[in-house]
Amino acid sequence: MKVNEYYRASSLEDAYRKLQEDPKNQIIAGGLWIKKIGQDCNALVDLSTLGLNKISETKDEVIVGSMVTQRDFENSNVIRSLFNDSLAFSVREIMGVNFRNIATIGGSIIGRYPFSDVITGLLPYDVSLEFYPEQKMSLEDYLSYKGKINAILVAIHIKKGSGKGFYKKVKTTALDFPIINFGIAKVNGEYRIAVGARPLTGALAHKAMDYLNSQSKLDQESYKKAAEIAAEELMLLDNKDASKEYRTDLVKVYVRRGLEEVSK
Amino acid sequence: MIVNFYLNNVEVSYSIKPGEYLAETLRRHGVKSIKVGCNESSCGSCTLLIEGKPMMSCSVLTASLEGKHITTVEGIQEEAAKISKCFSKQGADQCGFCNVGFALVIYALKREYKNPTDEEINNYIVGNLCRCSGLQSHMKAIKEYLKEE
Repeated sequence: MKVNEYYRASSLEDAYRKLQEDPKNQIIAGGLWIKKIGQDCNALVDLSTLGLNKISETKDEVIVGSMVTQRDFENSNVIRSLFNDSLAFSVREIMGVNFRNIATIGGSIIGRYPFSDVITGLLPYDVSLEFYPEQKMSLEDYLSYKGKINAILVAIHIKKGSGKGFYKKVKTTALDFPIINFGIAKVNGEYRIAVGARPLTGALAHKAMDYLNSQSKLDQESYKKAAEIAAEELMLLDNKDASKEYRTDLVKVYVRRGLEEVSK
Repeated sequence: MIVNFYLNNVEVSYSIKPGEYLAETLRRHGVKSIKVGCNESSCGSCTLLIEGKPMMSCSVLTASLEGKHITTVEGIQEEAAKISKCFSKQGADQCGFCNVGFALVIYALKREYKNPTDEEINNYIVGNLCRCSGLQSHMKAIKEYLKEE
């Protein structure tokens, strides 16, 4: 990896200006993905001195700075108090502690990685992304946004609510990427189902959600049916980790289990 | 470019390339206790402490460490000796390549948790892969070290 300059930004404005100077300038979050792909770049722009490594809360939402590490996220009492601790759960099985102390939440989202546990973990909640220059977008809209966004991810806003979440990462070994992952929640009485590593990036199963949220009474059969709808509507594919058929079976089982869990 | 940080509480100033990673910088400056295994953020053998937190030095950009405190095994000699005693008592020691990174992680675990459960211990050490002498003996050695004053 060849890098010409390491640039410590003094403000968001400064970082943005530096980013515009050259298409080969890029933001480093934790720096792990940059290491992994090893691509040459002109300048690496460092945001670590801009105070983006804090988690704060207001009456209605929790605000996670984009430079908060995965480890600080999972250990945060504010995060753990949300939705039965299911947000921290999605992060806890990513590699080891010595990895999560480096990886940031912002970096995990901005790349829209298909294998992302952070994205699938956050998707079932009301989550929006705050960018500089000023722009706000829901996490779901960002995932379907065409092309690379010309802005810096500043913070992740998680709307508070009452309810419970479920997170499941299916993997073959402790440190592996997921074969498929599930983020399921029931917040303020409403069901949300997210499935990632399909092997495509996380997505919500809207038809299955609409089915559940329109029923007046739910039982085991309705969860089973919702899981079948999700398996039908979501695009599931083959890759070297698992076949489409296997993923389809996993969706049917884990979506049902997740729904049962969050309904308890 | 020049970067200044504290290496085991001693202020150092190194000339580095902008895209250089910490393991490379430190080994070039004679800190050979850092063992790079996979060099792709997976095995954990290059782990050291940055501001007291275990991180894989193969994956941290040296330029990001301006003013930070870095601890290698040389900085925790007394504790490393205790850990190594617990390991040899359990016969949990073999070639030694992974020991340094592992010792630093165990040291950090003891500082972060008061009475960790087996699950918490496993979750904390799972990022250190080279465990040829067996998971059980390591667990026993770690628990013994955690009990020490």
